[in-house]
Amino acid sequence: MEAQKEAQRIMTMSVWKMYHSRMQRGGLRLHRSLQLSLVMRSARELYLSAKVETDEAELSPFPAAALAPAPNLPQPMTVAEAEDASLQVSEEAIPAPEPMETQEARENEPAPACSCLPPVRNATLSQRSMKPNRKRRSSSLGQGGEAGLVPSKKARLEEETAPTEGKTEVEAEDLERRQSQVEEGPFPSLARVLQKRFSGILSNTAGPPKPTAPPPSCELQPGCRQADHMINILVRTVVAF
Amino acid sequence: MAGAGGGGGVGGGPAPMGGSDLQWCFSQVKGAIDEDVAEADIISTVEFNYSGDLLATGDKGGRVVIFQKEQENKSRPHSRGEYNVYSTFQSHEPEFDYLKSLEIEEKINKIRWLPQQNAAHFLLSTNDKTIKLWKISERDKRAEGYNLKDEDGRLRDPFRITALRVPILKPMDLMVEASPRRIFANAHTYHINSISVNSDHETYLSADDLRVNLWHLEITDRSFNIVDIKPVNMEELTEVITAAEFHPHQCNVFVYSSSKGTIRLCDMRSSALCDRHSKFFEEPEDPSSRSFFSEIISSISDVKFSHSGRYMMTRDYLSVKVWDLNMETRPVETYQVHEYLRSKLCSLYENDCIFDKFECCWNGSDGALMTGSYNNFFRMFDRSTRRDVTLEASRESSKPRAILKPRKVCTGGKRRKDEISVDSLDFNKKILHTAWHPLQNIIAVAATNNLYIFQDKVN
Repeated sequence: MEAQKEAQRIMTMSVWKMYHSRMQRGGLRLHRSLQLSLVMRSARELYLSAKVETDEAELSPFPAAALAPAPNLPQPMTVAEAEDASLQVSEEAIPAPEPMETQEARENEPAPACSCLPPVRNATLSQRSMKPNRKRRSSSLGQGGEAGLVPSKKARLEEETAPTEGKTEVEAEDLERRQSQVEEGPFPSLARVLQKRFSGILSNTAGPPKPTAPPPSCELQPGCRQADHMINILVRTVVAF
Repeated sequence: MAGAGGGGGVGGGPAPMGGSDLQWCFSQVKGAIDEDVAEADIISTVEFNYSGDLLATGDKGGRVVIFQKEQENKSRPHSRGEYNVYSTFQSHEPEFDYLKSLEIEEKINKIRWLPQQNAAHFLLSTNDKTIKLWKISERDKRAEGYNLKDEDGRLRDPFRITALRVPILKPMDLMVEASPRRIFANAHTYHINSISVNSDHETYLSADDLRVNLWHLEITDRSFNIVDIKPVNMEELTEVITAAEFHPHQCNVFVYSSSKGTIRLCDMRSSALCDRHSKFFEEPEDPSSRSFFSEIISSISDVKFSHSGRYMMTRDYLSVKVWDLNMETRPVETYQVHEYLRSKLCSLYENDCIFDKFECCWNGSDGALMTGSYNNFFRMFDRSTRRDVTLEASRESSKPRAILKPRKVCTGGKRRKDEISVDSLDFNKKILHTAWHPLQNIIAVAATNNLYIFQDKVN
């Protein structure tokens, strides 16, 4: 759980860094963008592996069939819908977003697992990703585990899966293609998504998180949750030209 | 662990020149004392010329300042080889790329001297996009007595010219001129990180994030792409070029380092486009030290051939490695620069310090290495004794001829009186750029907007 939170924090931080590096003088630096995306990828892998563990612990009493819907059924959720979902969840679940944790906060905490991932964890992750994916497929990286980045989706996905079942496979494929087009879209659409996301975060948090901000509580951070939706897009190196 | 790692058995230079075998003393400090530092004044590169008589610095404001070593003066025995300003000029100005709607910074990324061929000195300076060849020359005479012009340079009335005069050279105050001789532009899509003059003295290379280009020093409208690692689909990008350098003696050989911590050695004789490297230097990653930031800290920020050409040195975030060109599997020596920061990587990521690009340099005999760290500390490693020393560039110890006291960072346990704890290091004070005189024990250390010059203690 501690590792998951830390991973989430690093993901949020990376998103902020990417966003700000767009505005830096001299333009976006390819090396920096690549490094940020690599950190985000590592953090995401850890986050997912921790999340899968948590999910399994929660869902273990249920029969396995209920846990795994047919893997060939794509989830017809576009980015716009995902936004709705995120808004819905953020309204439902958490009252107010909080800024990033500060250095002080981390110093007070018992040493987090941020700087040293045990190799065992990586092994676990690779095992996990071999399992059939019951969530949205990640359009860019194709690793099963990565699709589960949207933590709030579980309930909603299950709701939406039911109507989809009636559709023909052609329709489903079409939807999947559309979804991947939206997610993998060219640079302008990426910029648009970023803009939307950040304007959402900014309006919620009323200002960017400052390194000197007070340490947040141990609850999950809504700011991070919102940022999660971007990760599928941002984990790729952002290239301006 | 000072000099752990490598296989050992590597002979250093003829005599140990650096590290703890020497006592270094303060010589000079250049730059303003003000606490409030203007961004444009921050030094972004430092480079001695081949003789060591000239020392060039470039800053974020696009200026180049050249210092010249004064000749030894009998009347002032203590002024042993001081460096004084020789020439200052604005090398690059901020520009705007209208096609991309991007500002091009004027910051000087690198300066490289050309070997001296005549009385004038030449250097290459580059910002993110444009490389310039500058000529620095002295003038102490001027021509007088032109036929068609008067002393002020105005044209004379032709009716008043009654006799033919031969202009004569008259002595005048020494003037140092810097003039741009060539401008090499429009060849890099990404940001230039390195330039390196070839040992043939006619060509040089320039490297950006994805490509290396080869230029002739006389030709500005054409360059040859010798390395291109740009994937067809940029989403598949996994590494970028971080530094590149020509071999000091073999004009067909160059190396380039990558953000993955690997180095590729290429031979330009094998093909025009060096897509296939001749040698690939890589050290296997230790899985136990893997972290979120493994990719960042393994990225090589600088690569330098030894003067002999047998070795090369690479700098990553936490260490310096020396590679034998004949062994690709692992470095022969590994020196930890600030290993105590490994546990602080998360904070260093947060405050962006983890992206700092530290450079490194060899001493004249290849027996010692130097690189920078935080808190205005810099480190020296003696290759033969495997000893290391941490020194500090600070105004407090900048009394004339004051001996630099070795500093120690407390890495846990009880802090001794003269030690500094990791938590009290100032990460805003960093030494990214250092240079070692090619023949003597004189070093130049750039600390933000100040240039410190130290030299060995002479008995």
